[in-house]
Amino acid sequence: MSLVFNRWRLIGTSAILFLAAACSRPTPPSRVKRIPAGQENAGFLSTYVNLRPNPELENTRTYVSHNTLKNLHRYVAMIVEMPVVYVSTNVDEKMIPDRGVAALTEYFHEALDEAVEDAFPVVQSAGPLVLRLRTAIVGVDVDSETPAAQRDPQSLEHALNIGKVGVEMEIVDSETGEQIAAAVDRQNLGEGAEVGSVTFTREEKFRAATQAFDGWAMRLRAFLDSAEELSPEDVARIEERNFPYASAGTPTK
Amino acid sequence: MRKITALLPLLALVPLRGPAASDEVSTIHVYVDSDLCARLMLGPITDARVSCSQTTFKDGSMPVAVQLQNNMVFTVNKEKMIRPLVGQLADLSGKINVRNGTMKLASATPISADSIRHDDRARLLIDARMYKATGNAKLHESIRHELAMMPYISEFDFISFNLVGPTVILTGWTVRQTNRSTAEAVVKNLEGVERVVNNIDVLPLGSFDMEIRAGVRAALQRMLSRYFWGNGSDIKIVVKNGQVILLGIVATKEDSDLAFIQANGVRGANKVFNMLQVRGTKKEA
Repeated sequence: MSLVFNRWRLIGTSAILFLAAACSRPTPPSRVKRIPAGQENAGFLSTYVNLRPNPELENTRTYVSHNTLKNLHRYVAMIVEMPVVYVSTNVDEKMIPDRGVAALTEYFHEALDEAVEDAFPVVQSAGPLVLRLRTAIVGVDVDSETPAAQRDPQSLEHALNIGKVGVEMEIVDSETGEQIAAAVDRQNLGEGAEVGSVTFTREEKFRAATQAFDGWAMRLRAFLDSAEELSPEDVARIEERNFPYASAGTPTK
Repeated sequence: MRKITALLPLLALVPLRGPAASDEVSTIHVYVDSDLCARLMLGPITDARVSCSQTTFKDGSMPVAVQLQNNMVFTVNKEKMIRPLVGQLADLSGKINVRNGTMKLASATPISADSIRHDDRARLLIDARMYKATGNAKLHESIRHELAMMPYISEFDFISFNLVGPTVILTGWTVRQTNRSTAEAVVKNLEGVERVVNNIDVLPLGSFDMEIRAGVRAALQRMLSRYFWGNGSDIKIVVKNGQVILLGIVATKEDSDLAFIQANGVRGANKVFNMLQVRGTKKEA
C-alpha cells in the first residue's frame, strides 16, 4: 500500500515540477551593460587600436582589414547578432525595463538585417566564409517616471532616452573571431528621441527613435559599400579579364 | 577609385518585366540540357552542344530545360522526368515561374525538330543559321563593362551574357540573390536593350557547399596565388550541391591542370568541371 502511495506521490511531485518548469518563463540574459566610468569607448569591440577617423562618415572611426586572405571580399554571408545595450555610467540599471531593452534591440536588429542582407545574405550558423556582425547601442539613458495617467499596458515605467546614443560595431570571422572590420559611430542621430513603449515601432511619437536606428543601419551599409570599393588596379584587372563565355561569340561591327 | 553607391542594390527592387509566376499550366518546346552547358553554351543546338549536354550530364551536372524560343533556362522540380531526355528536344507542361527560372513539371514528351513549325519562334535555337550573336559592338562592350563593375561579386560568382539583337541573355551562377536582380536591372537600363533573359542561377549557401568553396579557394590560393589579388581573383569557383565548376582565365595549360587537381583534392568535392580558359585559346564545354 505504501509503495503504491509513494509511487503516486512521486508521479504527482514530478508532474508539479514539470508544470512549474513549463509555465515559468526563463529569465532572459541581461543585455544591459554599463559604460566604464571615464572611458570613451564601451569596451564592446574586441580591439579599438586600429580605428581611424573616416572622412566619408562624420563622427565615425572605422577599420577595414586589407589582409589578402581575410578581408570583406573574402566572405559571402553574415550572421547578425542581437545588439547589446550599454547604459550611461550614471544610470540606475534597475530603472531600465527588460521589455524596453528587448523592443530597442529587436528593432535595431531588424534594421541591421535589412541593411546588410542584399550585400551579405543573412545566415544563422557560423562556418567558413561567414561573418558575424556584433553591434552595441551605447549610452542609453532613462527619463523620469511616466505618469500613471499617461500609461497603457504597453507603456514603459521609464522611457528610454537615446538622445546621446552612439553605436559600436564590428564584423568578425564567425569561426575565429578575428576582426575584419569595425566602426565606432558617434553621429548623434537620436537627438530628442525616446522609447516609451514596447510597441514604439508603430507609434508616431517614437518616430525619431526609429529613424535614428534606421539611420545607423544605413550608415553601416554605406560603410560596407565603401569598404567593398575596388582599387583602380583591381578595376583594370577586372576590365582586362572579364569577358563572356558565350559560345556564339562577340558581335562585330 | 570606383565609387559604389548604395543605390545600386535598390535597382534590384525594380519589378521584372513579364509574368513572375503563373498558376496556369503552359506547354513549352525545350531542349533538355545539362545545367553546365545550358549556362555556358548560349548558342544554337549544334552537335557540339548535344555532346556537351550528354557528357556533362553523365558526369553529374543536373538536367535543366532550355526554352527554345528565348533561351530561358528552367530548373524543374521532377528531374526524373527529364533525365532520359538530355540532349533531346521535348514538350514540357507545367507551371512556370519566370522570376526564379523554375518549372513545376506535369509532363515531359520527346519531340522531333520537324514537329515544330518553320515560322515558330521556338526554331530559334534549332537552326544555327537563325541564331547569331548579332548586335551593336558598342552595346556589347557597355554590357560587359556594367556586369564587370557590379559590386559584391566574389570569386564564387560567375556572371556572363550573350547579345542576340536587342535581347541580352544573362547567365551564370551567384551566391547572392541580389546579383541576379541587379545584373538584370543594370543591363535593362542600357540604351538599345529591349529584352533581358535572366538565366543567372542563385546557389545554395548550405554549410556543406560553403566548406567546399573555402577549401577550393584555399587550395588554389596556395598553389596558384598569382591569380588571386587584393579583392578578387581570375579564377571563379562555382560550387553547387558538392559539384565544383572552375571558370575564368589562366596563363597556361599547366595552371589549368594544376587548378583541376587541387580542386579535386578538396574534401566533399564530388565532381570538378574544369572550364578554365587558357589565355590565347578558347576552351569551351
